[in-house]
Amino acid sequence: MKRGLFALTLLVVVGLLLAACRPAATPTTPPPTKPPTPTPVPPTPTPPPRVGAWLDEVVFIAVGGDENALPRLEGGDIDIYGHGIGGPENFAKVKANPNLTYSMAFGSYNEITFNPVLKFKDGRFNPFGDPKIREAMNWAVDRNYIVQEIFGGLGSTKLLPLVSAFPDYARYIDTVRALEAKYAYNLDKAKEVISQRMTELGAELGPDGKWTYEGKPITLIFIIRVEDERKIIGDYVSNQLEQLGFVVDRQYKTRTEASPIWIRSDPAEGLWHLYTGGWITTAVERDSGDNFAYFYTKLGMGVPLWQAYTPTEEFFTIAERLTNRDFKSLEERDELFRKALELALQDSVRIWLVDQQSFTPRLAKLEVAADLAGGVEGSQLWPMTLRWKDQVGGRVRWGQPDVFIDPWNPIGGSNWVYDTDVQRALGEYAVVSDPYTGLLLPNRIEKAEVVVQEGLPVAKTLDWVELKFAPQIQVPADAWVDWDAANQRFITAGEKYTETQTAKVKITVYYPPDLFQKVKWHDGSPLTLGDIVMTMIMTFDRGKEESPIFDDSYKPTLDSFLQHFKGVRIVSTNPLVIETYEDLFYLDAENNVTNAVCWWPYYSYGQAPWHSIALGYLAEANKELAFSSAKAKNLQVEWMSYVAGPSLDILKKYLDQAAAEKFIPYAPTLGQFVKADEAAARYANLAKWYEQYKHFWVGTGPFYLAQVDTTAKTALLKRNEAYPDLAEKWAGFGVPKVATVEVEGPGQVVKGQEAKYTVYVTFEEKPYPADEISSVVYLVFDSQGNLLTKGDAKLVADGQYEVVLSADATSQFPAGAAKMEVAVASKVVSMPAYGTLEFVVVAP
Amino acid sequence: MSEQVMALPRKRVGVPLAQTTWFRVLRYTLVRGITLFITVIIGVYLTVLIANMGGYVDEIRKGEIRENVAIQVMNDPALRALSPDAKRQLIEERVRIEERRLGLDQPFLIRSVRFLENALTLRLGFAQLMNSNSGSRQVRLILLERLPATLLLMGVSNLLIFFLSLFLALILSRQYGSFWDRVFVVLSPTSSAPGWFYGLFLILIFAAWLRILPFGDLVDAPPPENPLLYALSVAKHLVLPVSALVISSIFLSVYSWRTFFLIYSSEDYVELAKAKGLSGRAIERRYILRPTLPTIVTNFLLTVISLWTGAPILETVFNWPGLGRALYQAVGLFDVPVIVGSTVIFAYLLAITVFLLDIIYAILDPRVRVGA
Repeated sequence: MKRGLFALTLLVVVGLLLAACRPAATPTTPPPTKPPTPTPVPPTPTPPPRVGAWLDEVVFIAVGGDENALPRLEGGDIDIYGHGIGGPENFAKVKANPNLTYSMAFGSYNEITFNPVLKFKDGRFNPFGDPKIREAMNWAVDRNYIVQEIFGGLGSTKLLPLVSAFPDYARYIDTVRALEAKYAYNLDKAKEVISQRMTELGAELGPDGKWTYEGKPITLIFIIRVEDERKIIGDYVSNQLEQLGFVVDRQYKTRTEASPIWIRSDPAEGLWHLYTGGWITTAVERDSGDNFAYFYTKLGMGVPLWQAYTPTEEFFTIAERLTNRDFKSLEERDELFRKALELALQDSVRIWLVDQQSFTPRLAKLEVAADLAGGVEGSQLWPMTLRWKDQVGGRVRWGQPDVFIDPWNPIGGSNWVYDTDVQRALGEYAVVSDPYTGLLLPNRIEKAEVVVQEGLPVAKTLDWVELKFAPQIQVPADAWVDWDAANQRFITAGEKYTETQTAKVKITVYYPPDLFQKVKWHDGSPLTLGDIVMTMIMTFDRGKEESPIFDDSYKPTLDSFLQHFKGVRIVSTNPLVIETYEDLFYLDAENNVTNAVCWWPYYSYGQAPWHSIALGYLAEANKELAFSSAKAKNLQVEWMSYVAGPSLDILKKYLDQAAAEKFIPYAPTLGQFVKADEAAARYANLAKWYEQYKHFWVGTGPFYLAQVDTTAKTALLKRNEAYPDLAEKWAGFGVPKVATVEVEGPGQVVKGQEAKYTVYVTFEEKPYPADEISSVVYLVFDSQGNLLTKGDAKLVADGQYEVVLSADATSQFPAGAAKMEVAVASKVVSMPAYGTLEFVVVAP
Repeated sequence: MSEQVMALPRKRVGVPLAQTTWFRVLRYTLVRGITLFITVIIGVYLTVLIANMGGYVDEIRKGEIRENVAIQVMNDPALRALSPDAKRQLIEERVRIEERRLGLDQPFLIRSVRFLENALTLRLGFAQLMNSNSGSRQVRLILLERLPATLLLMGVSNLLIFFLSLFLALILSRQYGSFWDRVFVVLSPTSSAPGWFYGLFLILIFAAWLRILPFGDLVDAPPPENPLLYALSVAKHLVLPVSALVISSIFLSVYSWRTFFLIYSSEDYVELAKAKGLSGRAIERRYILRPTLPTIVTNFLLTVISLWTGAPILETVFNWPGLGRALYQAVGLFDVPVIVGSTVIFAYLLAITVFLLDIIYAILDPRVRVGA
């Protein structure tokens, strides 16, 4: 040890000596600087812009249930949970975790449904048969309590059949607020009204504080659902009813147990008095006018409960007119709508409680456009907007409760959201729904022209649609109006009708000139007109009894389609222009240009080319498989699956047969658009595809289905490199532009003197562009919530508005506390934003 | 189960047919077979009745259909602008078609007999709502496609528990009162908690916290394409559920077998063998294991057929695509064909096992004879 230390010391000393003996460096003059010889540097190649999806791969994983979502997300097992979840604890957990973020969805809502029959068959008295008692129940429930205590703030109070995130809510905000003030929680008032009505109807309040009728206690049977927050809501409402003097028999039931009682039984049998209802809307609703007929009148559903509804004649007429769009102008609609809101509360066969908010959690470094109503899974744009922040490519592991629940086939396959969200990435639509406004946007089409019969209140918002009005829209004699399944040819208007037909709307869709050059199916086959014509044929053929693939479960759908469909005509094939004549119309011109009238080959349950539909056609025609589950049951054969199971061998058999015969289905019609060589090439492409991927699911979407494992319940999607659009095409849909509204101004207003307020409308702390704002409305309420005045704020600059309360207006204000609420409606997001300011009104 | 008689000297000459061994065996087999078949019929029909709640499921199903169809029509943007009458008409038609698809247009009693007939003849038919993993509605495929996953999970864990228990129990029975014996006795009450309970803890520790094993599922996503890697991935996913099942059962199982062996170990003939100076292994094999063999075999066979039932909650916790979970889903959905299909197969398996055990007893135990 000592020797080692000595040697080390010696080495260090020698080293120092040698270093000291080294000649000192002489300072030298630096040589004159020469300009560096320019070496030829190859120019850095600019990477070509990314086409198709931002991601390289998406892996879908069935994780079993919502309860597994957060642990697996936090544990790094998945990157996003595509299905919306609720629960304040979960939400708090996600908000507290800096590695996680979320998207909100607003399409679910809860209510209490009443049995509307006043006297049951056995003579029992039902208080909720009386509209005044039902109306009074609006005062008996504290909606704020429900939102804050039961939903932990994950929702908003709901008084009316309107979702607060949808456009009609913002459009009628003044009426909504006035009604909210009128029906604000007031248990004493509820008690007073109910007591008076109960007494008038012959009920008596016993010494024990309980209501009796003809000497018997009134016991309310409350069917309370147990699967979600409705259990707590049911208990809360029961408690309130008990305070009003009722005895409540709380019957806790699952959906399957409750369903035969509330929806199937005759309400007059009196098996129930109240039920905790829940509803969901999966897309932003541009027109909520039909909700009154649906929820309050017998027009809604053909079940005993709905048939027992007896709204006033006035309410019924208004509800019917709104649902049939029987008005000449938007002003007339406004009038009807505002009245309907009031009458709905007077009728109150159901009282609304809460607009729920669910959230879709994901890693914070992941971006996606979520639909305001349907969330991420309901967004048609998720495949093109899901990406890692500041990164191109990569893989995302997408968890959801399940996948491959029902067989996949484009005509009558799985309708589960857990399957359709995957299919959405494998296909593409001609028009897509704006996830924030619900307005349709062009995706594969270039533009459209909508001609509307004069007098119909249709308006347009976006430039890609041209809106025109005409006194009469005639259906041309050569337009296809029906299908002759026996001869496999279209029937023209001239052949079917002796008189000229008219339509309410004509929609002309213009496809881009290079459509057939740039759009390719995943198996390499180019999109052709044959695919479009096949969509037209399949719309009719399955509902016709002469067809080899007639399906009586489809017949009602075709029958209802034929009630409003007036004709279709291919005006030009290059570029492709298609005219469709319809009696069905929507208030937004854009939303008249549906995928249905684009005749784009995206069927009810997925996208498909004509040659893959042909295999299913042969399999069903030969009674070996069936597109729909109903027909599969009738034939006692398998429900067709294009991705797995026993169907694949059968479809493969027909692929071989079709390839050998160069089979063109519906040859008398489709044969005019498809040649035998094209058919042979397509079948060869599909055979190659099947050999590689072992399934027949072929689309034109930004991803293709690379791997299916139905046992492990996973799907691997890979980026379609041949996708024609740039990845950034939908980049603007990263985050919904929900405005932030702040109101500034004096805290004291002197009666009879003018007062000015400034409203700041911002998004992410930047001024909200004025051209994206549709209205800024101010409302002033007194301390009781009564509306004092309202008006439009004046634009000062982008993001800045001014509210002037005139001297005349303030002179009418009662002294005391008041509140100004400013509601801002945006053109780019349907959800309104609000800002409030409280002030005091004083005498001069 | 079997009739035991004293072995008596017999004359073969002039014995009437009714008294010959073959006849007695044949008669016994026939009677036993018929009895078991009747038991199966009763069991399956009871299942049909219970699964249908005596026909009330029809009402439930009709309510669900109407609710579903109405919501579908309400949410379909293509139908949104239809007139109320057209909507109602569409709803009615769709409801009618769906009710017919599910056979709800026929009385329950007739369908119940048809259910029974199809079940007994193993024509399992089509499920009402459920699909097999690959998307088929055939009950046969729903069950068969789930079988491998269940056999893997339940087979590995149950066989592990069974043989490990026997092995450890034999050791402990020879070390009565030792430290390890006392450890197993003390830990045996832990088996009162089910496997899924331990599963939750294992997931928390090994998946959520340590992140060394997966949360659940059958295989990684996307599944490896190489078969060997696929098998390894499955094995990795098997670790936690198997561990949960083993932990939940092993202590009580060892304790039970060890007590069982201890009883046999204290028999007089074992003491005599010990006194004769036979080795411990010989005593174990000839005097302890031999007489306990019928019990062990019975236990083993029942263990094997119990694999069919799977472990519904554990499979749910681990998102394991097994039969137990399928049955659990079928019960939740009132999918009677699947419930009946699964039950009838189990009933047949049980009946066959009981039948076989009678024969095996006779082979294993010379004291067992078919009655005179």
